Amino acid sequence: MSDPRAEARLRIRALLVDIFGGDRFVSGVPDTASLREAGVPSTALVSLLVAMEDAFGFEWDDEVRPEVLRTIDSLAGHVVETGAVGTAGGR
Amino acid sequence: MAAEPRPPAGVAPEPVIEWHPVPWPHGPAQQSAAGRHAAAAALSSAGSAERTVPRDPHGRPCFPRGFPGSISHTAHLAVAVVVPGAEAVGADIESAAVTARMAAFVLGERERRTLLPPAGEYSPRELFAAKEAAYKAMNGAGTPGEFLFWRIGLSRSGGTLTASYRGVRVPLWIHSEAGHAFAVAIRR
Repeated sequence: MSDPRAEARLRIRALLVDIFGGDRFVSGVPDTASLREAGVPSTALVSLLVAMEDAFGFEWDDEVRPEVLRTIDSLAGHVVETGAVGTAGGR
Repeated sequence: MAAEPRPPAGVAPEPVIEWHPVPWPHGPAQQSAAGRHAAAAALSSAGSAERTVPRDPHGRPCFPRGFPGSISHTAHLAVAVVVPGAEAVGADIESAAVTARMAAFVLGERERRTLLPPAGEYSPRELFAAKEAAYKAMNGAGTPGEFLFWRIGLSRSGGTLTASYRGVRVPLWIHSEAGHAFAVAIRR
């Protein structure tokens, strides 16, 4: 895939599908929708952040800005900024 | 229907707590509706003439003036807490597992060492719920700036669990029962 951000979005969606045990809910969440407002519980959000560390091979900075964690797209943007797309551990 | 945990003991001022089951298929829409039902019941029990809770542009519930409250839900159970006269209220109910990795993510080293067993008496799920409840109480009372709930610090002193963030301190009460951790934070 030529678009790293799009690839990251797909991989983040796959992680969410794992967390929710299916894609019924996740498929209805737009890339740019607030995950909180879409109904993603805080436990699922933290599970996602932990899973992203494993999948993309980076650690979240303690000072990460809240807006980075707001949407699938903003998370993907952070992954691209870290250069983590395509690293080992991805699916 | 999931069993309703008892409210935490000793909460002051005394909150009004109402529960409502989340109907099938237990999705976000059903959870939100159950939360609104619970909020309407809590406001009614608290003596509020206004019983609707609209959302602000950020999706946060707007309780009537003089009746601050908070809503939380799992996939099967919703709860609303109203504390007439308080400055702000936060409530959180958690039934999901909080793994060791998740606990390490949301709890600082000192919190893990002093609040989790063997030195402490709280479970990771309880402390997760405590931070969420505190975040709601702080975020609903004009704490400046957006922040992440796990940056709230937790400490225990004199038998009281307290949340703090940038000089704002909020007492917390926690109770676990029937697979749920239920936390309430009240700013007076």
